[in-house]
Amino acid sequence: MTSPLESLVLFYLGPVPITLAVVTTWGIMIILITGAFLLTRQLDLTATKRQAALELLVDTIDNQIRETSGAEPAPYRGFIGSLFLFILIANWSSLVPGIEPPTAQLETDAALATLVFLSVIWFGIRGSGVRGYLRSFAAPNPVMIPLNMIESVTRAFSMFVRLFGNVMSGVFVIGIVASLAGLLVPIPLMALDLLTGLVQAYIFAVLAMVFITSAVEDGAHHSKHKPPHSPN
Amino acid sequence: MTIDWWTLGLQAINVLILMWLLSRVFWRPVAAAISKRKDAVKAMLDAAKETQAKADAALAQVAAARDGITKERDTILSSAKCEADAATKAALSEAREKAEKIFAAEKASLARDTDTARIETTKQAAELSTEIAAKLLQRLSTSSIQEAFVSRLIKAITNMPESDRAALAQTTDGIDLVSASDIKAADKAKITTSVQKALGSTPTITFVTDTDLIAGMEIRTSHFVLHNSWQSDLAEILKELNNAAQ
Repeated sequence: MTSPLESLVLFYLGPVPITLAVVTTWGIMIILITGAFLLTRQLDLTATKRQAALELLVDTIDNQIRETSGAEPAPYRGFIGSLFLFILIANWSSLVPGIEPPTAQLETDAALATLVFLSVIWFGIRGSGVRGYLRSFAAPNPVMIPLNMIESVTRAFSMFVRLFGNVMSGVFVIGIVASLAGLLVPIPLMALDLLTGLVQAYIFAVLAMVFITSAVEDGAHHSKHKPPHSPN
Repeated sequence: MTIDWWTLGLQAINVLILMWLLSRVFWRPVAAAISKRKDAVKAMLDAAKETQAKADAALAQVAAARDGITKERDTILSSAKCEADAATKAALSEAREKAEKIFAAEKASLARDTDTARIETTKQAAELSTEIAAKLLQRLSTSSIQEAFVSRLIKAITNMPESDRAALAQTTDGIDLVSASDIKAADKAKITTSVQKALGSTPTITFVTDTDLIAGMEIRTSHFVLHNSWQSDLAEILKELNNAAQ
């Protein structure tokens, strides 16, 4: 068993090393996009059970975004929903024998946290403008600017560490138990890992939405030239 | 522990691509389907509300029309009742007047018929009674009755106005003494003497028999008749009865 902190390089594309996590991510992407394409081919006014399940998923995510941000979910649905689905499938991919979840690798979680960090900036500027977004760092007073700037980095860092720690620890524990106690003993831990993967995906998506909402609302609140509004 | 920045960048790009693709093939179509269904449901609800509003309006219109019909029916019924009452009263009044007229006419007709019948009956009764009396008196034709009639004749001559008696006494054509039965010769002479004495002259006296007199003795000339018989009495009685009946 290799260290979970090391990436297994499968091959190189020029100078770019292609790790197992990247390949697994490609696999997950293919599965998600193909599945989404197949599932959404024949959407109609009269919903089938399949369409009703898809609409239930989308509606649930929309409600979650609406309850968290208070704004219309359309601008955030693609980012937050895709983030949730990818992390969920990536976490649950550990149940497939021989597959190591991409989220158990530092680089994947760091990439996700980086995307959240950048999306907070993007949605903040989109909602309040550059001045409004920058002014949000001076809340409640300019003294807090350094702390707010550090906070914007550390909270993304905490998200990445939380996700990595939980998923990596689950995989690591299951690996150790499986190597010590045989085939059937890790099953309860794998079931627990299912719950952990779902909860972590939910936490990551909700926290991303909270951070985005905070940036949008703070920017709108402190903007002198623009009235507060939701980004639509 | 080291971080492979190439992997970090690749994973970020991978996730970004995944987000972009999922947005196009999953989130947008499903959200569009939801929005389409919501729009369809909203359109159906709007149509249903509009239909309901139309139905409510039609119902209100029907209710108003029904109220109007009810009021109109009540008015018509009231008017018809008043007209019927008036027509009934008029018909009753007319019928009463007609009945009263008919009753009065019938009453008058009945009275006339009754009077006519009563008069006719009275006449018939008078005629019948005179006939009965005549038949009964015929059986009483005796000499004493004859003498009584001769006495009444003499008395009647005596009671005549002087001028009439003188005219009767001076008649040249003779006087007929009419009796119901033949008179014996001795009686004729006696009667002739009494009459001439009453007249105060001696005219020619001829005795004539007329059974229609029933009983009695009458004087008849060409210009004068002195009735003195039961026939004349009965005729007089019948005449009076008829006059009394009318």
